[in-house]
Parts: sequence; C-alpha cells; structure tokens
Amino acid sequence: MSARTLTLDDLLGLDRYEIDEEQSHIQVDQSRCQRCQLQPCLTVCPAAVYVVTEGEVTARYENCLECGTCQIACDSGGAGGITWRPPRGGFGIAFRYG
Amino acid sequence: MKIVACIKYSLTLSELKVDPATRELRLATTPQRVGTIDRNVLEAAVVLKPEGSTVHGLTLAPAGAREAFREAIAMGLDDLTIVDSTNWAAGGPMATAAVLAAAIQKMGDVDLVVCGEASDDGVTYQVPPRLAERLGWPLLAYARNIALAGATLTADRDLDIGMQSVACDLPLVLTVTQETNTPRRPTLMDAVKAKKKPVVVWQPEADLGLSAEALQAAGGVTRIAQEGIVIARKEQLFQGDDMKALANQLLDALLAEHVVAE
Amino acid sequence: MEKFDAIVVGAGPAGATAAYLLAKAGMQVIVIERGETPGSKNVSGALLFSQVYSEIFPKFWESAPLERAIVGHAITFLGEQTSVNLDYRDLDEGHVPHNAYSVLRARFDPWMAQQAEDAGAMLMPGFTVDKLLQENGRVVGIEAGGDALMADVVVVAEGTRSGLLKEAGLRTDEYHASDVSIGVKDVIALPEDVITNRFQCLNADEGVAYTCVGHTGGVEGGGFLYTNKDTLSVGVVAKIDAVYKSKLQPHAILNEFKAHPFISRLIAGGEIVEYSAQAIHRGGVHLIGQLYGDGYVVVGSAARLLLNNVMTLRGMDVAVASAAAAAKAILAAREMGDYSHTALAGYEQNFKATNVYKDMVTFKDTYPLLENERLFHVYPELAGAVLGDMFTVGAKPSKKGLKALRDDMRGKVSLWQMLMDMNQIGKGLVR
Ligand SMILES: Cc1cc2nc3c(=O)[nH]c(=O)nc-3n(C[C@H](O)[C@H](O)[C@H](O)COP(=O)(O)OP(=O)(O)OC[C@H]3O[C@@H](n4cnc5c(N)ncnc54)[C@H](O)[C@@H]3O)c2cc1C
Ligand code: SF4
Ligand code: SF4
Repeated sequence: MSARTLTLDDLLGLDRYEIDEEQSHIQVDQSRCQRCQLQPCLTVCPAAVYVVTEGEVTARYENCLECGTCQIACDSGGAGGITWRPPRGGFGIAFRYG
Repeated sequence: MKIVACIKYSLTLSELKVDPATRELRLATTPQRVGTIDRNVLEAAVVLKPEGSTVHGLTLAPAGAREAFREAIAMGLDDLTIVDSTNWAAGGPMATAAVLAAAIQKMGDVDLVVCGEASDDGVTYQVPPRLAERLGWPLLAYARNIALAGATLTADRDLDIGMQSVACDLPLVLTVTQETNTPRRPTLMDAVKAKKKPVVVWQPEADLGLSAEALQAAGGVTRIAQEGIVIARKEQLFQGDDMKALANQLLDALLAEHVVAE
Repeated sequence: MEKFDAIVVGAGPAGATAAYLLAKAGMQVIVIERGETPGSKNVSGALLFSQVYSEIFPKFWESAPLERAIVGHAITFLGEQTSVNLDYRDLDEGHVPHNAYSVLRARFDPWMAQQAEDAGAMLMPGFTVDKLLQENGRVVGIEAGGDALMADVVVVAEGTRSGLLKEAGLRTDEYHASDVSIGVKDVIALPEDVITNRFQCLNADEGVAYTCVGHTGGVEGGGFLYTNKDTLSVGVVAKIDAVYKSKLQPHAILNEFKAHPFISRLIAGGEIVEYSAQAIHRGGVHLIGQLYGDGYVVVGSAARLLLNNVMTLRGMDVAVASAAAAAKAILAAREMGDYSHTALAGYEQNFKATNVYKDMVTFKDTYPLLENERLFHVYPELAGAVLGDMFTVGAKPSKKGLKALRDDMRGKVSLWQMLMDMNQIGKGLVR
C-alpha cells in the first residue's frame, strides 16, 4: 500500500509545536473523572492527549492539536473534568499546511 | 548612549530538510525568523540600556522580511535598520561584517554593539570579531553577568576553561551566549507600541556605498565541492534453518567489516 | 490605556474580513490572533467557494495563494470492497473565477490578514485574548496576557473553539457533542504532475474534490480528498458522540478511510507531511448562535455559522459573509455613535439578506440526513452491491436493477425504510 500507515506518535512527530515548558493549557479535575462513566476523552482526542496513569486521567498537553474536541466531549458525554484554554500566544501547535 | 543590537534573520533549523535526491539542504523552502540567540542579544542590549539611552536594531536581511522583526522590536528597540540583502548574492561572514560595520559607522556615535556569539544557522563565530576588527574596537566575547558603569563595561567571559572577569572601556563589541540571560516575552502593549517604532531600510550601495563588487571581494568565499555524507546500506541477508551456522556467518561478516574485533 | 475603534479577536476568514472592511472605512482596528502567524492554528478541508469572496475581495484569485481550481466534484459511496462515484466535471475551461479553489489555511490565512493590514488594520499575531472586559454589562475591551485594550466594539471571530463569550457569561447556549464533529486530516505530499495525471486534470492549476460516504469505521461521518498543488488533503469528519460511542480513535477512523482501496490507490506513493485536527460545528439555520450584544458582534463559526449539505461544506465563505454583514452594521452604528445591542441589531438583518443565509434556509432539511445512520453504513454498501450485481457477468443468471436491489437489501434495510430515506434525501437536497 501507499503512504504507509504511521503510528500516532509518528504522525504527531511530523507536526511543529512551540511547546510552553512553563504551563499546561489543559487542567483535569480528578474528582470529576472518578465519577465519569464513559471517559470519552480517552477516545475522542486525535492526539491521544488523555491517558490514565496510576488511576488518574492525565493530559499530555504538549501533543495537543488544539482542535477543541475534548472539552465538548467531556462536557456532554463525560463529567466535565476538563478545562481547556488556548495556550499562551505563540505557543502550541503551528501548522505549516493547515 | 547609543547601543546597537545586531540580529539575524536566520533559518529555522528545526525545519531544515535535506533533499534525498540531491543531498542539498532545502534552503529555499526553510522558513526564516529572527534567531534564538538574537533574542539573547536583544535582552542583553535592552537590560544594559542606561537611562536616556537608545537601543537600535541592525540587521542584514531582505527588506520584505520586515514583519518578522515585530517581536524583536517589541522586546525594546527604539528603531530597526534593515540593510536590504534582497539583491545581494555575496555571502559569508566577511561581507556581513563589512556591511554591519559600514552601517554602524553611518549611524554614528555608537558606544556599544551587541551580537550573538554565533548565528543560529551560519554558526561561524566570525562576524563579531571581524566586525570589531573593522570598527577598530575591542571584542568582549561570551559575556555573562554584564554590567555597565559609566563608560566601562564589566563581564564574566564564559570560556571552556572557566570564567574570566574582565572590564573594558567603551566603545566595544560584545557577544552573548544563550546562557547569558532569559529573553523576555513582549506583552501585547509592547507589541502595539512597537508598531509605531520606525523601521529604516538602507541599500548597501546607495546608502552605505558598498557596491556588489566590493562585497563580493570582501566575501571571498568560493565553494569548491559538495560531497555530503552517504551511508550505503550493505543489505546482507542471512537465511536458513541452521541457527548456529547463521550466527557464524553474521559474526564473520561483522569481523570482516571490523564492527567487532577478534 | 490604548483605545481602538474596533478590536477583532481572531484572524481567520471572519476576523480578517471584518478587520479589512472596518479599516477600509477608516476605523482604527486591531486584530489579535493567537497563532504566531495567521492560519498556523487553523484547519479546514479546504475548498474555498468563490462567490462570496469575490464580492468582498474582487479578483482575489489573482493574488491569493490558492492551490488548484476545483473543476471536478465527486460524491463517492464506499462499500467494503466497492466504490460508486457520482462524478461532476466542469469542462468549460476558460471562465474565472472557478466555482471553488482548494486552499491550505496556513498559507491562505496570512493573505487575508495582509488584505486587512494593507487596508490599515493593525495585526497582532502571537497573542491570545484571555477575556472580554465588561462595564455595566457592556463589552468595552479585551485582556491579553495581563494587558487591557479598549474599543467601541469587539468583533468575536474566534472560530469553533470560541470560549470568550461563555467565560464572560454572555453565552448561555452550550455545545452538544451531537452537534459537533471532529475533523482529522493528513496532508500527503505527491509530485505536482503525479496529482495532475492521477486526477485527470489538464494542468497543475486544475484539481478535483471527492466527498465520500462510508468506510469510516461505522461512525457517522464522511471522508474527503481534495487535491492541492503538490499535496492531497485527506480527512474524515465524524460526529463527536458517535466517535466516543464507537471507541475508535479519530486517527484510526482516518486510517480506515485511507485504507479503502478506492482511497489508497489515489494516495499511493504519497508521503504524509502533516497531521491535523479541528472540531467543526454542523451549523444549520436552526443552530445559529447569538450574533451580537452590547458592544460586540460574533461572526463566523464562533456564531456557529456554517453550511453543510452533505455535498459541500461551507464555512469560510459563510464566515466572510457574516463578517461583511457585521461590518456593515458596525459602520452604521458608528454613524449613530451608538454600539448598543439595538444599534448592532442591523447585523442580523444584514445577514438574513445574504444569499448565504438563504442557502442555509434552503438546505435546512438536509440536517436530519446527517443524523441518518443508514446513510453511512447501509447505503454505501448497497450501492456497490447493486451495481456490482448489474455489471458482473457471473455464474448465476443476471438480475435487473430492481431485483438486484431487493436481494441486496435483504436483512439490511426494509423497502419502506428506504423509501422514507429517499424522501428525506429528496427533501434535503433535491426538492
Ligand atoms: C475538517 C474541516 C474541514 C472544513 N472544510 C471546509 C471547506 O472545505 N470549505 C469551507 O469553506 N469551510 C470548511 N470548514 C469550515 C471552516 O474551517 C470554518 O467554518 C472557518 O474556518 C470559520 O472561519 P472563522 O474565521 O469563523 O474561524 P477560524 O477560521 O477558526 O478562525 C478563528 C481564529 O481566531 C483565532 N483565535 C481563537 N481564539 C482566540 C483568542 N482567544 N485570542 C486570539 N485569537 C484567537 C484562531 O487562532 C483562528 O485564527 C472545515 C472545517 C473543518 C474542521
Ligand atoms: S471525559 Fe472529562 S470527566 Fe470524564 S474522565 Fe475524561 S476528563 Fe475526566
Ligand atoms: S483540543 Fe483536541 S488535540 Fe487538544 S487535547 Fe483536546 S481533543 Fe486532544
């Protein structure tokens, strides 16, 4: 086949980021995640930013493509644990093609 | 006091790609921006600036790139001078130093020139010393802990063997490293104010009297050959069912290649 | 404190258009964009439909960085191992502008912002607006990184991820996961001439667009493949709630789509050069968000303005039209020296008078279609099966179309159900 299937990490590796080392633009409220049945964040994120580590939902914010999906999914299908704000100006994803 | 910060419109190294077919760097399609080290230059110049002084940006860049300098200006420059490199084929640190020196002389009454130790993309370490030479000023390279008292500058020089504390009278050329300081992030208000700061464009020939020939002569670099590095894969495949025999074959091959020693 | 006549938040199509028109009319305008350059945060398909653009930016096709003129549109139904294509080609070569052009946002948006700057607007990329400033319930300015800027009117052009209004307590209508889709996309590099030949174009200025239904992991959504100069934009758009119910991650859905033999042949030999994603509201006349209030207007997809009729997804031109309608209202408000919500109400009237709005009304019955699951997994398969039966000369006796259809439908969808669906399609798209 063509364009061989790349893993998600490969794909994210193609993109250009200006990583904000100082602060995350995503906050996760664990107390809400504890009572979240569906945990849609684990599925919908195109960059698999949300992962469960040691029983907690954590956000690997440096991979975020800033699509806005997680907030919507969490608010309507989850327990509202996500607070997503745009990264500080100039930081985050920087598409070359878009 | 008049401080000049020399900054470079550099290739974004993380975006630099090699053309697999020709082995040439894809320079034309690599985006450019004010370099990382140049932010340290600007920070140093702005921090040093005594009351009542001015800091002027100076760059040799295509005039069309002026928008790329917005953030640099917002860091605290009073103005920016671009010596237009649009129609300028000559390259190399010697020619660059010649242009910068001529511009600094034209600006007049400059007390201090701040440069990066080396540019992000060229990394020759040559421009500042050549510039100092042309200006006839001392060079104070790899400076940290910089302080200015009247017309004397003190700093620690970050050398491989240790720190060297020096004091030197102005005028001089100073170079900074990425460790010298932490560049500021301009605020929105800084950026709004920067919009009103003048950007002057000088032509090398018309404004600085540097003809293309003169620059070519100053440039003096001739490319002789480009080899590139090619690593040919051996692509040897050992196949069979006898594991022991295969292992021996592999070992022999590695020995033959001097990958492992007997 | 700095004061402007207008502050525009966001330099997408909506923000850039508003800034351009307001600055052109002599207003002091500042555009604040969070990307380091305009477009660096933005993802679309993207097809740019010319009509509205040419009204605001005459002859835009002469200077804008367009990829290819879209001379062919195809709707493709993807069954497991089949594809049925409804292929439309505009064979009249000469006319400009073409109906649509493919664009890449990171390249196109800077051009739009430049139009605004050339008209006198001040562009400030690299700053995120953190909040709207209010005084007595009126929006009076913005705050970004601790700095405040004031203005007579604020144009909210933040796009789908708009959060400022909500934060300011000015928006009460929440998004629902069923109203929003996620778009994921690969940009795939291929030599210019390979694209030209593979898609049967005359030259590198011509291109085609495929809108595909089916083979998206059973998730309600669709795929697309658009030709750019030397890249292809290949993506899927899938409803967010359907995605999390399916437990299929978006990139997996995209991979499934790309693995379909119809698509994999079109992208063969290509190299992925970017992976991107963006949420997209489904739009529709019944879901238009709030458009204005005291001291502010909301334009483009921040106001959920979008037109999706299955065949075409229009957001950029809708954004431009709404921004133009808003700019007109702001200029009228300036005449009156009053930027209250009553003064800005003209925006809604202006927008309702546009053809874009009329199109939104025309296609209002299309939306139930997007909810119809059978459209995404039953019919694409069925279309391939029926045509397969009709074209294939095999061991069994051949069937006529209707008989083939009845046989292939068995167990998948009832005749009654299909007639209902046909009616829905007819109502949505044809009648
Ligand atoms: C996958 C996909 C495919 C699409 N395909 C098409 C297509 O083919 N044709 C078409 O016409 N439309 C298409 N659309 C729709 C189109 O992308 C949008 O409708 C359009 O971009 C809306 O324009 P806008 O200016 O309102 O918002 P946007 O283009 O989203 O622009 C908003 C801008 O605001 C900036 N911003 C946001 N918040 C802040 C803040 N707080 N401070 C400062 N800046 C901020 C953003 O960085 C951005 O530049 C597609 C959308 C998606 C997701
Ligand atoms: S969807 Fe929201 S609430 Fe649920 S686990 Fe994820 S972050 Fe937590
Ligand atoms: S914005 Fe998109 S990419 Fe970023 S974390 Fe949310 S879902 Fe993932």
